[in-house]
Amino acid sequence: MLRLSCQQASRLLSQRQDEPLPFAKRMRLRLHLMYCAACTNVSRQFDTLRMAMLRWRDRD
Amino acid sequence: MPPNASSAAGKISIEFAALAEQRVYLMRIARMELRDEHAAEDCVSDVLTQAYERQATFRGDSSLRTWLVSILKNRIIDLLRKQWREQPIEEAPSGEQDFDNLFDETGHYAEMPSHVRDPAELCQEERFLSAVQGCVDKLPKRIGQVFVLREVFGSDTKELCKDLGLTTSNVWVQLYRARMMLRTCLEKNGFGNAQPG
Repeated sequence: MLRLSCQQASRLLSQRQDEPLPFAKRMRLRLHLMYCAACTNVSRQFDTLRMAMLRWRDRD
Repeated sequence: MPPNASSAAGKISIEFAALAEQRVYLMRIARMELRDEHAAEDCVSDVLTQAYERQATFRGDSSLRTWLVSILKNRIIDLLRKQWREQPIEEAPSGEQDFDNLFDETGHYAEMPSHVRDPAELCQEERFLSAVQGCVDKLPKRIGQVFVLREVFGSDTKELCKDLGLTTSNVWVQLYRARMMLRTCLEKNGFGNAQPG
């Protein structure tokens, strides 16, 4: 299956927070994000989460 | 050794006060990881004592805080291994069906996830950081513990597998669940309606 569902994309979005995705997955995800606003938003939410945790940790 | 021992013969010596200054910071992250005030207290006291005793091993090429956090992390991993050994849980299933209810039958989000306008700005807001903390504290315990080790203590996937005796796919599933639960939690009181009124 070439096209990712949003549910599949969400797993890749999380996985890529932890390690680089293999080439094929990376391409499929990139393609999906080009037309999917919902997953683009989720990607940004995950980035925000990471930033928030670091901020939370290091605020004094 | 007196509490205010100063450096001798080029060796870096740490004043006890400098250690004590880091206590609040260490407590905050230990509490989030362990979810138990007393366990966090014990853990941080041990860390500070250990650090004071072993200050000869502090090289000064990292900050004092970084060094203390690395001691704390080891301590916490020992604790978690012990706890998890005593109360083992079955391996989490694959996660294929996770969060099915967030998606419609075509695999799309049933509700449009919020757009975060300015992540950097949002993360400056105390209100948002508290909301994030509240949501992390509400995660199922082990999922939260793996997530906090990852994001606060900076463990990577390999370390998490080795330290906690989990498989790679299990670590991914736990972190995936954590993030999806957090984003759902923050849709209600964080991402979406950034400023009421």
